[in-house]
Amino acid sequence: MSALLEIENLRVAFNTRHGEVTALDSVSLTVNAGETLGVVGESGCGKSITALSVMGLIPSPPGRIAGGAIRLAGEDLTRVSEARMRALRGAELAMIFQEPMTSLNPVFTVGDQIAEAIMLHQKVGHAQAFRDAVALLDRVGIPSPDRRARDYPHQLSGGMRQRVMIAMAVSCRPRVLIADEPTTALDVTVQAQIFDLLNEIQRDFGAAIILITHDMGAISEMADRVAVMYAGRVIEEADADDVLDHPQHPYTRGLISCIPALGKGDTELREIPGVVPPLHRLGAGCAFAERCAHRNGRCDSGKPLLVNHGHHPAACHAVQEGRI
Amino acid sequence: MSASFLFRRLVYGLVLMLGVVVLNFILIRLAPGDPAVVIAGEMGGGDAALLDAIRAQYGLDKPLLTQLGIYLGSILQGDLGQSFFFNQPVATLIGNRIGPTILLVLSAQVLSILLGVFLGVIAARKPNGVLSGVVSVVATVGYAVPVFWTGIMLIILFASVFPIFPVEGMQSVRLRDAGLWVRSVDIAHHLVLPAFTLALIYLAQYARLSRASMLDVLGSDYIRTARAKGAPEHSILFKHALRNASLPILTVAGLQFGNLISGALLVETVFNWPGMGRLAFESILRRDYPTVLGVLFFASAMVVVANLLTDLSYRLADPRLRGKT
Amino acid sequence: MTDAVAFKPESPAREAWRMFRRNIPAMIGVVVLSIIVLATLWGTFFFAGNPYEIVWAPHEAPGVAPEFLLGTDYLGRDIFAGLVTGGGPTLAVGAAAAAITMVIGISLGALAGFYGGWVDNLLMRITEFFQVLPTLLFAMVLVTLFSPTLTTIALAIGVVSWPQTARLTRAEVMKIKELEYVTAARAIGAKNRRIIWQVILPNAAPPLIVSATLTIGVAILFEAGLSFLGLGDPNTMSWGLMIGSNRAYILDAWWPVTFPGLAIFLTVFSVSLIGDGLNDAFNPKLRER
Repeated sequence: MSALLEIENLRVAFNTRHGEVTALDSVSLTVNAGETLGVVGESGCGKSITALSVMGLIPSPPGRIAGGAIRLAGEDLTRVSEARMRALRGAELAMIFQEPMTSLNPVFTVGDQIAEAIMLHQKVGHAQAFRDAVALLDRVGIPSPDRRARDYPHQLSGGMRQRVMIAMAVSCRPRVLIADEPTTALDVTVQAQIFDLLNEIQRDFGAAIILITHDMGAISEMADRVAVMYAGRVIEEADADDVLDHPQHPYTRGLISCIPALGKGDTELREIPGVVPPLHRLGAGCAFAERCAHRNGRCDSGKPLLVNHGHHPAACHAVQEGRI
Repeated sequence: MSASFLFRRLVYGLVLMLGVVVLNFILIRLAPGDPAVVIAGEMGGGDAALLDAIRAQYGLDKPLLTQLGIYLGSILQGDLGQSFFFNQPVATLIGNRIGPTILLVLSAQVLSILLGVFLGVIAARKPNGVLSGVVSVVATVGYAVPVFWTGIMLIILFASVFPIFPVEGMQSVRLRDAGLWVRSVDIAHHLVLPAFTLALIYLAQYARLSRASMLDVLGSDYIRTARAKGAPEHSILFKHALRNASLPILTVAGLQFGNLISGALLVETVFNWPGMGRLAFESILRRDYPTVLGVLFFASAMVVVANLLTDLSYRLADPRLRGKT
Repeated sequence: MTDAVAFKPESPAREAWRMFRRNIPAMIGVVVLSIIVLATLWGTFFFAGNPYEIVWAPHEAPGVAPEFLLGTDYLGRDIFAGLVTGGGPTLAVGAAAAAITMVIGISLGALAGFYGGWVDNLLMRITEFFQVLPTLLFAMVLVTLFSPTLTTIALAIGVVSWPQTARLTRAEVMKIKELEYVTAARAIGAKNRRIIWQVILPNAAPPLIVSATLTIGVAILFEAGLSFLGLGDPNTMSWGLMIGSNRAYILDAWWPVTFPGLAIFLTVFSVSLIGDGLNDAFNPKLRER
């Protein structure tokens, strides 16, 4: 049986001042119904571009899907018409964005914004859609949803707005829900509530969730499987426990060592030295080589492939040569 | 919308109008020569009895503050003075002329905003497209053409080449006594060229402004959210984006109103439109100061009202401002 | 210690000039405006003809008489003579009025923005008051009350046009005064006046320069409008006056009003092309678009 959502060898390119750069290169991911896939990496690694590609929202121009396929239950989204894509968006595929403060339209009430999503995909009138919106607000844990539905976004707190975004996203019971850093802009206590809510929603609705984050802590709480991305490529992929307990790629190891360990007295926040190289400067070798302690000549001459050489697949010459 | 906000805006508007009255008073006193002669106007002046009557009426022999008091008092009673050229009270003169001016100014305002915003929105869809280029060229041209000259060129064009619109006045003489409907159509027919001439300057500015404002809004997160919902393109543009992009447009529309009245003054003169602008022009040539200052007063009052309406509509359009006072 | 000077960034003004030079419309504006200014200078100082003199039959069409290429007006005066001599007052009044506008606007705006509090409140109320007065009407009143000379006209235009400049300056000053280098200047004990003139205003220069350019365009249109209405200086020929005095005969002859109108249009058009070019050159953010 094939997966619900299948991304195969996706390549996305952007036209920039430096010529055409490849933002995503041979990205392959799969998600099954009811499963949560975590996609991790630092900013600029291609996580959000992957999400926007699935939604068909890559800004074009300058961006374009240059190769590969994105299959939702067998239908290749890179080849469907814009009208078909619009019908899928919001209905089958939904997305929650990072910034609840700016992701809601300031001039419409939140009830109307949820009702709009419902009316776009179901043949119901405004009154019915608004009632559904109130019910959804109730479902995502917003107190006195009747009144709140008539509020404007600026009258709600950040956590509330993110709940509204979730209500809007699940309003048509999508099969795939993409959450792009849904808690980054929120307080730590609110973060946990939002994760609980997402877990509940998944139980109730059976949606596949793609959770995009740079936070390994979020992964350990939410994800069944994990894909680690770096500079537009997937560099390690496996079950969440495997990745967390036996990270292979030096970059994944770095990310995990950055999680502040509780109770160890280790309060120093560690980080991986260096930054993600700009996409137009990617050379022939491994994109991580410059920041890697295990670099050797091979790392500079060829890109490592994502293959299984030990515990689970990782794209690293050092792992494949057994040096680490 | 809070009543106290409305009340405070009204009071502020009245204070501004009081300022205009005081300014008028100061201007007459600052002008070189005897104020009585200035008020009588150079055409009607010279008659000693008339000058004495004016001195008595305005209390010109009394201290300045008393004079100001008398002046304010008469304006509060709706007495803007007497036009010695037209031999009519200024208030009556303006009362007869204000309707056509409001009609012209509002038509031009509506025309320029509707057309301009539509062009701007379409242009914003393709920021580097042909239409965007056309809009920015037309905007620069529209800004640079003297409005009276555009009017004259249109008169030449429509009087001799395509005689489909009347080029002068507001009504046809032969239709003066026709029914209301026929007269309305006749006035609308006469309105086309003046309103278009006046709209032309601002149309392009609105197009440019709404293009920039739309580009700004179209890049925002909530537009991405709307797309992620599966909203169709026309709904993205005209519902989600335009409602937000209209806020700066509203601000400018309010600020432009004073300029629009200035433009109307020239357009009315060119097309012989029987409004306040033409009255101002005629009375300035005759040095008929009470009338000129009366027009200045009423034109400023129109701007104050327009600003008040802009403030109110701004609050209606932006829910973030509604709770505030 | 040689590596410190190895990289020298381009100065902002230089970079703006580099951007401006590459902007084709703006360079067209520079060329057209230069031609107009040179023609006007020539007409004012070297042209022997008299624009008031009746030299030919009235309403001679352009191109018929070789000495009067642009034709004659309703009295038989040479339109070319009017164009080259009438540009001087128009441009001079436009430039002077723009200068007056900028001086009033920048001073009041800088004071309001820098001091804030009651100073700001008072100045902004005054600004709002002036924005209520319809500019052209107010200028007409001023000009007629105080005799129409070129000086009065320039002053009148300046007095009615400054509020926008004041608002822009105020906004810029308020933005800049919060920045670190102003705090630094304060910390070393610089006086307020010095901070305003030597620290804040130079940094607010780019938008003010753009605004000054556009103000020149508006002032020229203003002068043309006043002259058109017959409220200009009666002793000087100007483009607006040419249009105004030939207005009654437009259905008999198109050329006496068309050429001066084109001259006004081209002048203001090239000025605003330059203004737009400066704006683009000063705004790195817009360059990406």
